Amino acid sequence: MKKFVILALFVCLATMGPTVMNIYAGEVDILLEKLVDKGVLTYGEAQEIKTETKEQVRKEIAAGESDAVPKWVQNIKFKGDLRLRYQSNHNKTVANQTSERHRGRIRARLGAEAKVNDKLKVGLGLATGLDDQNQSDPDDKDTIRSTNQSFDSSFAKKPFNLDYAFAQYTPYSWLMLTGGKMKLDAAVWEPGDLMWDTDITPEGIAIDLVKKLEGKNNLFLKTGFYVLEESSSSGDDPWLVHIQPGVNYGLADGISAKAALTLDYFAVGSTGNLNGSSGTNSWSSGDLAAPKKDVVNIMPALEVKFSEPFRGLGISLLDIPVLKLFAEYVKNMNDSKPDDNKTGFMLGCKFGADKVKRWGDWQAKYNYAMLGKDAVLDILPDSDRYSGGTAIRAHEFAISYGLGENTELGFDVYRSKRIGMAEAPETIVQVDWLLKF
Amino acid sequence: MRGFAKLLVLGVVVLGLVVPCYAANITIKGSTTVLPIAQAAAEKFMKDNSGVDISVQGGGSSVGIASIVDKTCDIADASRPIKDSELVTAANNGVDPVAHVVAMDGIAVIVNPSNGISALSIKQIKDIYTGKVSDWTELGAGSGKIVVISRDTSSGTYEAFNGLALDGAKVRPDALLQASNQAVASAVSRTPGAIGYVGLAYVSASVKALTVNGITCSKETVLNNSYPIGRPLFMYTNGKPVGAIKEFIDFVKSKEGQQLVEDQGFVGLR
Repeated sequence: MKKFVILALFVCLATMGPTVMNIYAGEVDILLEKLVDKGVLTYGEAQEIKTETKEQVRKEIAAGESDAVPKWVQNIKFKGDLRLRYQSNHNKTVANQTSERHRGRIRARLGAEAKVNDKLKVGLGLATGLDDQNQSDPDDKDTIRSTNQSFDSSFAKKPFNLDYAFAQYTPYSWLMLTGGKMKLDAAVWEPGDLMWDTDITPEGIAIDLVKKLEGKNNLFLKTGFYVLEESSSSGDDPWLVHIQPGVNYGLADGISAKAALTLDYFAVGSTGNLNGSSGTNSWSSGDLAAPKKDVVNIMPALEVKFSEPFRGLGISLLDIPVLKLFAEYVKNMNDSKPDDNKTGFMLGCKFGADKVKRWGDWQAKYNYAMLGKDAVLDILPDSDRYSGGTAIRAHEFAISYGLGENTELGFDVYRSKRIGMAEAPETIVQVDWLLKF
Repeated sequence: MRGFAKLLVLGVVVLGLVVPCYAANITIKGSTTVLPIAQAAAEKFMKDNSGVDISVQGGGSSVGIASIVDKTCDIADASRPIKDSELVTAANNGVDPVAHVVAMDGIAVIVNPSNGISALSIKQIKDIYTGKVSDWTELGAGSGKIVVISRDTSSGTYEAFNGLALDGAKVRPDALLQASNQAVASAVSRTPGAIGYVGLAYVSASVKALTVNGITCSKETVLNNSYPIGRPLFMYTNGKPVGAIKEFIDFVKSKEGQQLVEDQGFVGLR
């Protein structure tokens, strides 16, 4: 009887034509209820047919093979987000004068990932932010890295630019090749943001290798070649080679660690200031006694994750799903100046929900960073930390709270000071409303 | 004599065709909820099919599904549907998980028999399990701290309860975690003030099952979907089953197999 019913269902669908093949689950439920009412099926048989049909369709959709859903829907995934921000900057100048700045800011991002075939996918993303041709705002040296746009210029329309465009080839489960303008995590792993602003999307080719060990442990190697600038009048363009071996390892039940040792070679010695420079490296700040050399960064980094570290104590205040502790250290090996100038470090923690997904979820973080004047190229650091410059030390505290599914409220405070010169402290407060889709 | 010999050979051939004779090993892993069904069915099937050896292990639905995806078992028992992420991993491993619904189950919310309460709403259950309500007096049911008992996260029963009753919310941190339905039932029966949840088959005289939204957990209410915390129970195979595995799945779904399902306290499909 069950086989007859299934055959009858398929005959009905076939005679109704391919345009009606996209039958909805609710309609199947109604059909099965009618068959139960008429005594053709028992309740149990109806449940069996409904559940097994639903599981088969889910499996086909997951594999991109379903005839019930158009192919393009199965093969392309869209996502995006909108962030509305209030930001205030409070600065004390060298002459001990204070200045304040208040801005409404917006960030919009729209991305798509399309499956070309089983081993190949393409990613495209657009985001707000000034493009690399429009660096005219002297107050926003950080704009080349930032995806924020301020409310200004008499309601002028805002640029919406190419944020990333890459092809990703995964011929084996242990090898991934990415080429184009890619998301940062395809190129680099960093537990904090001491060296890399998280909005940067590197351009070049990345190779990601993974060697599985026992359980969830693995060794990984991220390596790549990236183009920093292209000059039409010279063949001596600046580039970066990135080599980052690391390990993911479970230390104990509920405790895992990720560690990496990175070597970055920035071949920039023979070129002028790079686009987007904050002007804080010795050579970019106009110090004629500081000739530009290639920058060679060594960076060990470690992150330890504790899942439900205080469970069992029965104290609801300590009911923290996740606690992460991390540390990074960076040194410019090609610099002969004292360590204060060529080193940097960050210590920090994140605690709360692993991801803020729904009402009531929350996550807080704190970090302290010190970045020497020539520790890293001044085109890279977080643009919210003293406009993305070097020669700084800074505290950051942030908290996010889930307002519902896919929406959260954020509060972030940076307190930064210059080092090796007059401190000129800066305090930035950001209040964000983030909506994801 | 020659005629008799021909008859003898024919008889042996006919017997060989009529009596299924497999030499096969079947490994079943997964849900502790489905475990009694798998064990009872395996015992009967092996009795009727000498030459077939079936080993049955628990570990939880996640363990079972991970094993079928890793190709380290032939049948995965699961008290929850396979997740989308598991489907992707399966596809990457060249595994085609096919779902076979073998029974229906209700997740009964149980309390100690000394507890005066007999009914809870879904909202009240969620409030208890998420920590908003901690004392029975808040529910008008005597006094005393509520001892909340739950399952570890590898359990399909936990996944189903979390999805159907708690809307995916996090269980309170002071909940006592147990590794199986039997362990939950034992803990509740020993602990006045305790509340837990178990598959329908594990409801016995040593615990009291509550009505949920006014509906009693029973075969009828699970089959007609009126009981709010009902779910199908699955056996997953890698691709459409063939040989001994197909015969076993067909047996579980047959009238005889479904009688075994009912004998174990679950809701049969026939």
